[in-house]
Amino acid sequence: MAKKLSRDDILKLAKLSRLSLTEDEVHDFDVELNTILDFISALESAKVDNLLPTDQVNGLTNVLRDDCLIDYGYSTESLLENVSNLKDHYIKVPKMIGES
Amino acid sequence: MIKKELLQKYHPTIGIECHVQLKTISKLFSGSANGINDALPNSQTNHIDFGLPGALPVTNSNAIDLAIRAGYALHTTAQKFSKFDRKHYFYPDLPMGYQITQYDFPIIKGGYIDIKIDNKIKRIGITRAHLESDAGKSLHPAGSDYSLVDLNRAGSPLLEIVSEPDMHSAIEARIYAFELFLAMKYAEVSEANLFYGNMRFDVNVSVSSTSKLGVRTETKNLNSFRSIEKTVEYEIERQIKILEKGGVIKQETRGYNDAKQITIVQRIKENADDYRYMPDPDIPPILITDDHLKRIHKTMPVLPDVWRSRLSVLGFSDLQINLLLMAQTDTDNHLLDFINNNLSDLNKAKTFVNWIINIELPIYQNNDENNFKDNILVPNDREKLFQDAYLLKEANKINSSKLTALLETIIKTNIKIDNLEQWATDNGYLQNSNEEELTRIIQDILSTNPKVVSDIMNGEVKAIGFLVGQVMSQTKGQANPKIVQDIIKQSLKL
Repeated sequence: MAKKLSRDDILKLAKLSRLSLTEDEVHDFDVELNTILDFISALESAKVDNLLPTDQVNGLTNVLRDDCLIDYGYSTESLLENVSNLKDHYIKVPKMIGES
Repeated sequence: MIKKELLQKYHPTIGIECHVQLKTISKLFSGSANGINDALPNSQTNHIDFGLPGALPVTNSNAIDLAIRAGYALHTTAQKFSKFDRKHYFYPDLPMGYQITQYDFPIIKGGYIDIKIDNKIKRIGITRAHLESDAGKSLHPAGSDYSLVDLNRAGSPLLEIVSEPDMHSAIEARIYAFELFLAMKYAEVSEANLFYGNMRFDVNVSVSSTSKLGVRTETKNLNSFRSIEKTVEYEIERQIKILEKGGVIKQETRGYNDAKQITIVQRIKENADDYRYMPDPDIPPILITDDHLKRIHKTMPVLPDVWRSRLSVLGFSDLQINLLLMAQTDTDNHLLDFINNNLSDLNKAKTFVNWIINIELPIYQNNDENNFKDNILVPNDREKLFQDAYLLKEANKINSSKLTALLETIIKTNIKIDNLEQWATDNGYLQNSNEEELTRIIQDILSTNPKVVSDIMNGEVKAIGFLVGQVMSQTKGQANPKIVQDIIKQSLKL
């Protein structure tokens, strides 16, 4: 059994993600996230003594490109189409300064 | 200002983090342009910088090379193994929701920067330096309820250089930042344009009256040496005042207000940031071979600290040496070699340095409509001009004001002169040391100034200067003032 996520853990994750949750949502996430953790916890039964942590599985190293400009075929306009609020070519967002 | 005794009671400790924007053509993980200042907002971007799903970042090989160069400039060798990690936080100028950076295996570990203070060299340790991608730029228009984001900077390659907390005064902090700036400029790692924020400094300051370190504050995003010095001064005093009143220092992030020269709280850190670092699965680790290191090492120039010690025999002030060190990269990168090659004759070398500082450099820095920046002397021309001019000076064929005028004219007009003595004669720069001719002129002047002559005869020897001036003006500045003075004294039997 994985260590259960507490209500405080969920509130902290929400804060780090800049989400404000209703009581109902806290309850829903409590159930959902703990179900996911239970599922993943099957991994804890694997024997990993004497193994180094794995952060790459494909064995690749030095996947590099030359330092030159690449035209990916996307115009700035098409990229900005995904932006809900524009002002003078800037992305307009809620005021950042002054919040905690 | 607080009292000196209070300042002495507390021991300040300062560490500096510096974000250096690397001089690459494209971004760290994408092929959009890096470092285009003043471009239309969001025009230098692509699907990777926007953090769109499925976009694959690919590492820019030149960023790795420049990091290796930076390593050498910090007197260390880049790590053979380094990797990239995701640092998670949510902010509107970070579309991916994480920054790609290096956590536990940075590309540079260790190294140092030497600073000269009170005529002693002090070594400031480097903890680490890691590659990371920059965030976008946010604007906060005054009085509005929104912020504006420009992602042109998002993904630009940064090298974050973290110093050890080895500094203990505002001056040490300023000098460290300046030396780091020079090192990055010489190593050609960065454009190092402070105005465009190519180097941004975060300054950590704490004070303590015991052997235990105090709580530190971090003042972020400083981009001038002066603001670093002012910030440290201000923070030391602010923290001492709080402690003296029995208060506690809060661990917080502050910003610097240049107009008021004070720091202002931006964010209080209640607990350590929770960035949930994880290895970036999209970006395989970087392995650097010995051959690769050797290839880069071969192309490294002589570094500023080495120049500083070589030039110390000149006996010039730190300020003058700093001018020369700055001029090296602003001119043709050969200025210091030129001085160095002439160090065997110290008088000559000192004369050359004076000409460079007082005549040559001010011409390039001239900000009026004449732009002489394209007239920077090429090494061979400087060598020939200075050597020839020095011969004229040593042979006493030219006086110092004419010499200055001659050098200024030649550098400003960028003309090539084969025979400098001939050219100087033709253009009236040489001194007239023809005693016969000078004696004739002097006799004329003596006879037309009987009052001055009698003053001199009556002991007002200083009045000779007036007569010398008359001769100089009549010869249009070409007379050798020393010979003129000798002839006058002879004539008056002084």
